[in-house]
Amino acid sequence: MGRDLSLLLPELILMITVTLMLIGEMVRFSRVVLAIGLAGLALATWQSYLLLGTDASVFGGTYRINYIAVWSKLILLPATALSLLLARGELAGRFREGSVYSLMVLVSLGALMLSGSGDVMLIVLGVVLTGLGSFALVAYPADDAATEASMKFLVYGSVAGAVMIYGVTFWYAGAGSTLFSALVTIGDKPLLAAAGLLALLVGLGYKAALVPFHFWAPDAYDGAPISVAAYMSVVTKLAAIFALAQVFTYLPIATGWQWAIAILAALSMTYGYLTALVQSNLVRLLAYSSIAQSGYFLLGLVAIGFSALALDSLIIFGAAYAAMNIGAFAIILVGGRDMDKFTGLGRRSSIVGVAMVVFLLSLAGIPPLFGFFGKALLFGAAIEAGFLWLVIIAILNSVLSLAVYLRVIVAMYMAEKEAKSEQKSTLATTIVWVLTLAITLLFGLITQVFTGASIF
Amino acid sequence: MIPVISIAVFLPLVGALLLMALPKSSSKFAHTVGIIASALTLLVTLVIWSRGIVPGGFAQVEEVTWIEAIGAAYRVGVDGISLPLVLLSALLFLLAFIYQAKSGDRARSFVILMLMLETASIGTFVALDALLFYVFFEVSLVSMYFMIAGWGGVERQKAALMFFLYTLLGSLPLLLAILGMFLASDPYTFDMRVWIDMPPLLGVGGMLALIAMLFTFAVKIPAFPVHTWLPAAHVQAPTVGSVILAGVMLKFGTYGLVRFALQMTPEAFADAGTVVLAVGVVGAIYGAFVALAQSDLKRMIAYTSVNHMGYVVIAVAIAAMATDPKMRSIALDGATLQMISHGLVTGALFFLVGMLKDRAHTREMDQFGGLLKVVPIMGWTYILMAFASLGLPGLAHFPAEFQIFLATLNVSPWAVISILAIVVVAALYLRSISAVFLGETNEKWSKMADLDRREIIVLVPLIVLTIAIGVAPSWLLNLINITTTSMGL
Repeated sequence: MGRDLSLLLPELILMITVTLMLIGEMVRFSRVVLAIGLAGLALATWQSYLLLGTDASVFGGTYRINYIAVWSKLILLPATALSLLLARGELAGRFREGSVYSLMVLVSLGALMLSGSGDVMLIVLGVVLTGLGSFALVAYPADDAATEASMKFLVYGSVAGAVMIYGVTFWYAGAGSTLFSALVTIGDKPLLAAAGLLALLVGLGYKAALVPFHFWAPDAYDGAPISVAAYMSVVTKLAAIFALAQVFTYLPIATGWQWAIAILAALSMTYGYLTALVQSNLVRLLAYSSIAQSGYFLLGLVAIGFSALALDSLIIFGAAYAAMNIGAFAIILVGGRDMDKFTGLGRRSSIVGVAMVVFLLSLAGIPPLFGFFGKALLFGAAIEAGFLWLVIIAILNSVLSLAVYLRVIVAMYMAEKEAKSEQKSTLATTIVWVLTLAITLLFGLITQVFTGASIF
Repeated sequence: MIPVISIAVFLPLVGALLLMALPKSSSKFAHTVGIIASALTLLVTLVIWSRGIVPGGFAQVEEVTWIEAIGAAYRVGVDGISLPLVLLSALLFLLAFIYQAKSGDRARSFVILMLMLETASIGTFVALDALLFYVFFEVSLVSMYFMIAGWGGVERQKAALMFFLYTLLGSLPLLLAILGMFLASDPYTFDMRVWIDMPPLLGVGGMLALIAMLFTFAVKIPAFPVHTWLPAAHVQAPTVGSVILAGVMLKFGTYGLVRFALQMTPEAFADAGTVVLAVGVVGAIYGAFVALAQSDLKRMIAYTSVNHMGYVVIAVAIAAMATDPKMRSIALDGATLQMISHGLVTGALFFLVGMLKDRAHTREMDQFGGLLKVVPIMGWTYILMAFASLGLPGLAHFPAEFQIFLATLNVSPWAVISILAIVVVAALYLRSISAVFLGETNEKWSKMADLDRREIIVLVPLIVLTIAIGVAPSWLLNLINITTTSMGL
């Protein structure tokens, strides 16, 4: 048990952090809340780093501390810290800003449960915990748009969660246990397996905003504060992807999960980018782009068990996606939500413009930026698993994505008709985009940090 | 040993970073940085040349581990095919900077883009790691996109977007092929030397990889029917953009055709040789006829590139099909020399058209007439370069095309019909000379100034090299020959 606790240190630290943050928020010391949050996240990240190379499970196999789980902590915790800073930049001085910080950390705790889950029940808990916090985060501005967005999100999330809970009971019926490791036998009961898989995909697909479970995402992102949109598009999405990775490590291939994932991937990429192409609201544009990016993650998922690159590609692209997506949202926070407000941004402020260009080109997968290396590995993994057709669809979508992102870039470098937009740049926001810019630019070149010794 | 190749690759980037760090720098300072950085780069490439190459394989290899787990490393080196292209790139970039030095339009950003493009271009030619090659290959697209979009003509946004999407769509199949070869190599590696020594993909896999690569390089070359981005990009691009696009970036396609398609999937290429040959023949003839139909000088020259690159495609296909090693090396010698000649001659022609446009603000042939009397230096240079471009003996294209046709006649005689295109190209250049420089002087241009000193400095090296290659190609051919005779496909 003592060993179990040491393995759970990051989660325990996070729990204590949230408690302290709530106490700080009760007395409205928002700066203190922020400081506690950042310190707790840093400490938890450090403890996660020490766990690298561990492959263990606790609580009777229901919670895993393995390659995916540890790396997901190392991605999600810093991403949460960046989101906190972004929230500070956006909401400083607003009523109860501290509750945003504490909710974010709380939701991240749920995200860690998802990405480390070794049991169906833990996935349910993780989905519910991340969901509850996210509903409140979206509703935070308390205006009409946010309330509507949160309402939609809540209804959608409740239904998806209910379907999932109902469906995964079939797995329990088939396998006699809720552990993933028991799922290896479910291949002989195809109907039960399919029902459970479908339910799981509804629940986690909704969390990861995969087509066709994505409808909530653009509205929720747009209604929420920009920092919350950035947070949800990265942390909760990645948690769901990593949770799927944990499940597919055990789920027998006979259930057909590979094909289900491949089809979702093709749909998400294509639908996401086609819709992004006509958006004029940048938050919505990034929302659809992040739906498409979820599709790219699935290329790594289909290869689990068939390619040594699969897990690495998920982790590297996960890190890249976290950096470039948060960075892009940070620039939107500086420039404004509307494409109109972005007109001429690159000419007014060349460094902010260059940063946005880097984030967008990285999202499109142009080398030598971080996003490229992630995508190249995802493609390699999917090819090795025999999904060449899916990679070709992904490649065609990459061309489409370039059109999506170039629209923003072109607008940024057009001569502006009249000087109009006010830029609101705060120190916290600047820290966020400078850090993510450095990661996006340089981490591709030092990708070997992420390719651990556990493969090959 | 000083890592001279890496210095040549990254020296321009250092210049770019320096300018980025100094946001308030004046146009003059920016241009000075550009000229100095590219001049030093040219010097360093001359050092690389002086160190020489070795038969069979690559010389002066520099290697640093990069992503060890997947066998990707920073590996650069040169051989007889890449070294001449490196020298050509370094020279053209320096000349482009000198030409551009008068322009004050957002000079700092422009110089930064050009320097990044120079790093990407030289890097593409010296990369010996497929992942690294792909990185440089794509970075060049980004820089060129911004150059066209930011400094191009009236329709620049559309042309730039078309260029970027087209060539990105074109280059992604290459990524597929690279990943395929990576997954087929054992142990996993991106080392191009390993792939060349022991082609990882054979049979159907090799053919699929070849098709993917052919698509990529055909777009870049550009070969018929995927050449349609070229005229749009050229017409809208600023003059130096056109020079670099035609002089350097088109060679990525033909270089890749040799380095990747020919060397890494030789069996499949030999099987598909006739198809590639046909693409080359059609491209050569089609390019010539379409060029004949143009009235805009720049468009015309852009289409002659399709023609000239068609000959390179023919030569590489012949090299793949040839069974006699001697014929193969003649074909590859011709192909490489043709790339260099095209860079020099077409580079000079684009410069000349740019200089004409600077003065007249039009490029329509029928707007001019009798300019030879008004601007004799410009006129005679254009005439010389036009003759070089149409393949006159004693000038750069002749020894290249001669070898290409010699090998073609020997291996696949029917393809020699592409020689007809030379007649068409001759006709269109003679027509352009007579329309612009001969005949009655158009009064409107009687005050036109002849080339100034800066413009002459830009053109002289190109003229000298064009004649030097035409009269005595052996100084360059011997270098190329070391590699082509020892390639052992």
